[in-house]
Amino acid sequence: MKLDYFFNPKTIAVIGATDRIGSVGRGLVKNLINGKKASAQGGSRRKIFLINPNRKKVFGVRTLPSVLKIKEGIDLAVIAVPAQIVPKVVEQCIQKRVKSAIIISSGFAETGQKGAILQDKVKQALNRADTPFVGPNSLGVLRPCTGLNASFAPLTPSKGNIALISQSGALIDAIIDASNGKSWGFSAIISYGNEAGLTLTDFLNWAKNDPKTKVIALYLEGLKNGRQFFESAKEASAKKPVIVLKGGKNPGSKKAVFSHTGALAGESQIYSAAFKQAGLAVVSSIEELLDISKALSWQPKCKNGIAVVTNGGGAGILTADYCFQLGIKLPKPSPAALRKIENSKLMHPGYSKSNPMDMVGDALSDRYRIAIEAMMSQKNISGLIVIQTPQTMTEPIKNAKIIIEAQKKWPQKPIVTAFIGGKLTEPAGKILEKNHIPNYPDPYRAVRAIQSLIINQ
Amino acid sequence: MDSADCRKVRHEVKLLNYIIKNEPPRKRFCFHFWEYRIQLLNMLLDFKTTKKLLAEYKIPQAKAKIVKTAKEAILFSKQNGFPVVLKIFSPKIIHKTDIGGVIVDIENEKDLLTSWAKIEKIAKTKKTKIVIQKMIPGEQIIIGAKQDSVFGPIVAFGLGGIFVEVLKDISFRLAPINNKEAKKMISEIQGNKILNGYRNREPVNFKKLEKILLSLSLMISKEQKIKEIDLNPVIANKQDVFVIDAKIVI
Repeated sequence: MKLDYFFNPKTIAVIGATDRIGSVGRGLVKNLINGKKASAQGGSRRKIFLINPNRKKVFGVRTLPSVLKIKEGIDLAVIAVPAQIVPKVVEQCIQKRVKSAIIISSGFAETGQKGAILQDKVKQALNRADTPFVGPNSLGVLRPCTGLNASFAPLTPSKGNIALISQSGALIDAIIDASNGKSWGFSAIISYGNEAGLTLTDFLNWAKNDPKTKVIALYLEGLKNGRQFFESAKEASAKKPVIVLKGGKNPGSKKAVFSHTGALAGESQIYSAAFKQAGLAVVSSIEELLDISKALSWQPKCKNGIAVVTNGGGAGILTADYCFQLGIKLPKPSPAALRKIENSKLMHPGYSKSNPMDMVGDALSDRYRIAIEAMMSQKNISGLIVIQTPQTMTEPIKNAKIIIEAQKKWPQKPIVTAFIGGKLTEPAGKILEKNHIPNYPDPYRAVRAIQSLIINQ
Repeated sequence: MDSADCRKVRHEVKLLNYIIKNEPPRKRFCFHFWEYRIQLLNMLLDFKTTKKLLAEYKIPQAKAKIVKTAKEAILFSKQNGFPVVLKIFSPKIIHKTDIGGVIVDIENEKDLLTSWAKIEKIAKTKKTKIVIQKMIPGEQIIIGAKQDSVFGPIVAFGLGGIFVEVLKDISFRLAPINNKEAKKMISEIQGNKILNGYRNREPVNFKKLEKILLSLSLMISKEQKIKEIDLNPVIANKQDVFVIDAKIVI
């Protein structure tokens, strides 16, 4: 399905445009107008029409009373009027032959029977007119690379290669905020709302083929057509990594079941079985979703065989424990690698000579360099975790630069880092991330991140 | 018609309403009726049809027969050898162990006669048939399938007894599955070590086990009328894997 009108519309009508403080319409208009500037800079001009019969001007821009008063054709109508008015507005949009619509308004199936009837009415009308639409009860659609922010999110995220498709709009708000000032960003963010029109599966199919998307991150609570999702997820995950976070794991109301199978096949068990069978990476928290998205967004995939380089014994032991727990192999350093390290004469005589490679607490940057180079040169090492604890002589920024150099030298071998600590390590962490090396404040998160990069055999 | 009869009729009418409207009774009506409705709508396949259906999908079953007299039971045991199992069978009774409807480890003719007396009593009061079956040594396994409301047909695999009931050590897949998935389903349960052999026990026949999983996955995908299937227990040993008891809900 072609969704170009949603992601790069040339003309947009905002129905329910307002500058009233505390309203959804205000956020929407602000985001779209800001995006207009960005799209103009990008070379693709975008026209935005503000529709409101009750206000002459919004943010100083003249409004029109109805979408029917617009002379040009409309690629995308964004509807943010009270639910009861939506059917009327939708009729006008159909008459205007708008090419696509996003219904932001809430008060539909999510509120109960009455809302469901209203939603059905809107759905029937748009389906008859063959107009693709998102929502209702949606935060909106964002496409940073075209400067489109057709949502009432409080911030506009930066460009990147992660497509976030979420059933919850509020979670999107939080994730955009979390990404603010970070080096990772989004190819698209979609709040699919009540799925009366386009569904999660439709957007998954789109993201699978979107050249700007490298990683697909999903948040969902329930599926309307599980089988369809499963088939599409299977295809998508064969093309690019798909990460899923599912809310709503409590055992639901007990239905009458007659078999052990029926009694044991709880909803959450079947969901996670389906996700795994479809090849999705299942995560259990927002933090994990973002940690893994970041790693997959920046780093290549690799075989199972990871080296750990550390300047702290305790941190190294913890990392080795996590690797064991998550099935990550830590191959021993080869005689050649050890010889290389010994010959450098830089290493502390008490260094571990194994993997994790513990270089002892007083390790300066040159020790990091020699250990990283020796381990990365080894054939059965396919990726690297660098651990740093901030000790009195540690040189975080120098270490970061050495890691960045190593990444350039071995671009096929992923590197993740755990610069553990706070204030002392933060600047170095930022440098790493600017250079697309994912850094985590805890070794567990680094191990989990590199695990997501390992190709299952 | 006295007042008790009137009440009975009123209940029947209300019950029918529930069946037609497919809604649970209001609180003040007893749970019993709801159960009754469920029994009417969800049917267990009878012995013969179950046997036939499993055979159609080439799922191996332990030799079993419906017997009417102790004589027939003895004849079966002599032909197929001891030990044997006696159990009641009725499409209406779901948990037969709970009412003492299964007697295992019947080693000889004397045992068989005393067991027969017990089971016949239960069968008479519950109006069920009696099945005799050859007892097979090995590990107890449960293989199941159902139509899931979100994902459609699914299959399940676990070890029998406390492993599934208490520890919930079970793996699921959407059906139909391929051989690779069947292998993974068996290997990913915690209890896999038991199937692999422990304390001088030999590993079970995994090939045959996988075959049953594949067949059941095909069956639940093709037979849309089937809601739930339990093959429980399935007994696996070094040479063979047999379904001992099967419950098919339509």
